[in-house]
Amino acid sequence: MPGIKMYVGIWLGLVVATVAEVVTRSLAGAASLLALIILLISSGKAITIAMYYQHLRYEDKRLAILPIAAVIGVITLAVAAILSMSPGM
Amino acid sequence: MTEDYEHGEECKSSYAPILLAAGVALFLLGIVVFLPLAVAGAVVIGAALYKFFKDGAEEKFAELKESLEEKWPLEFLNKEKLGVWVFLVSEILIFGSLIVAYAYVRLSSSAWPVATQTHDVILGMANTIILLTSSLAMVLALYSIRAGNAKGLKIGLLSAFALGATFLIIKLGVEWPMYYRNGFTISSGLPGSTYFVLTGLHAVHVGAGLAAVGYLIFRSFTGGFTSTKHSAVENIGLYWHFVDIVWMFLFPLFYLI
Repeated sequence: MPGIKMYVGIWLGLVVATVAEVVTRSLAGAASLLALIILLISSGKAITIAMYYQHLRYEDKRLAILPIAAVIGVITLAVAAILSMSPGM
Repeated sequence: MTEDYEHGEECKSSYAPILLAAGVALFLLGIVVFLPLAVAGAVVIGAALYKFFKDGAEEKFAELKESLEEKWPLEFLNKEKLGVWVFLVSEILIFGSLIVAYAYVRLSSSAWPVATQTHDVILGMANTIILLTSSLAMVLALYSIRAGNAKGLKIGLLSAFALGATFLIIKLGVEWPMYYRNGFTISSGLPGSTYFVLTGLHAVHVGAGLAAVGYLIFRSFTGGFTSTKHSAVENIGLYWHFVDIVWMFLFPLFYLI
């Protein structure tokens, strides 16, 4: 399990990533590209919290079956939603 | 493929369950996307069921049941923690579905207000940092009690509670009234209704988390936790971090993009 220094270091990294998201929003560039970058940073933050604060990294690997199954379900729903959009939308 | 079981009998493995699952997935996807795909899915389901009955489904299920009992994949987890994770899976599906619905509605709309026109980015960022800090306080509380430090546990839990309450005060006491004064309400259109439903549901979860942390604080002050007996701190901590994770997606979706 991580120590106090590591927990605080991760928190600092998450705060910096949050500021980076806000800064990215104000950058000049294609809106869809900036949105993708922001969502990638958000996903990185979420994974970091799950791995280090929820200790998934230190648990038995088989525990990951549960959250991964749920995430696959959500991704499947997202793919179905995207595919069901008509081109004119 | 064959597998030997403890009682000495031999059982043939089957690919029929995988075929059946693929058929159901294809069928459901076809209903949403493209009907001929659903027909193909139905054919695959039929083929899988035929394979089941041809191979003797009754015997196979009997073997499977026995095998599952012997090989439960999450036996290393205690029941409390397993329960929390199963609950979190359901929460992922609830929030995931709502976020996908929000994205669908937003991408389908011809016009959507710019986030900076309707939302206060500074307040959103402040709330994100507050929630992150509250997660840090919670994980440090767990770290403390694992090391037998009861004082550290109390400080951690009280900090997590205070930060969570601050999040709610900013959200419900400052942000929402400000948006309502500006005419951005739950009934002002899809941008408003999606925002208030999703952040409202999240706020309810923060509130439930506060009640749970309040319980932990009470237990910690009455000597309820030791270095070897603290599973409630760990399990409620898992939920608290999950609420934090959800906000990591709501913040950019509503305030930045």
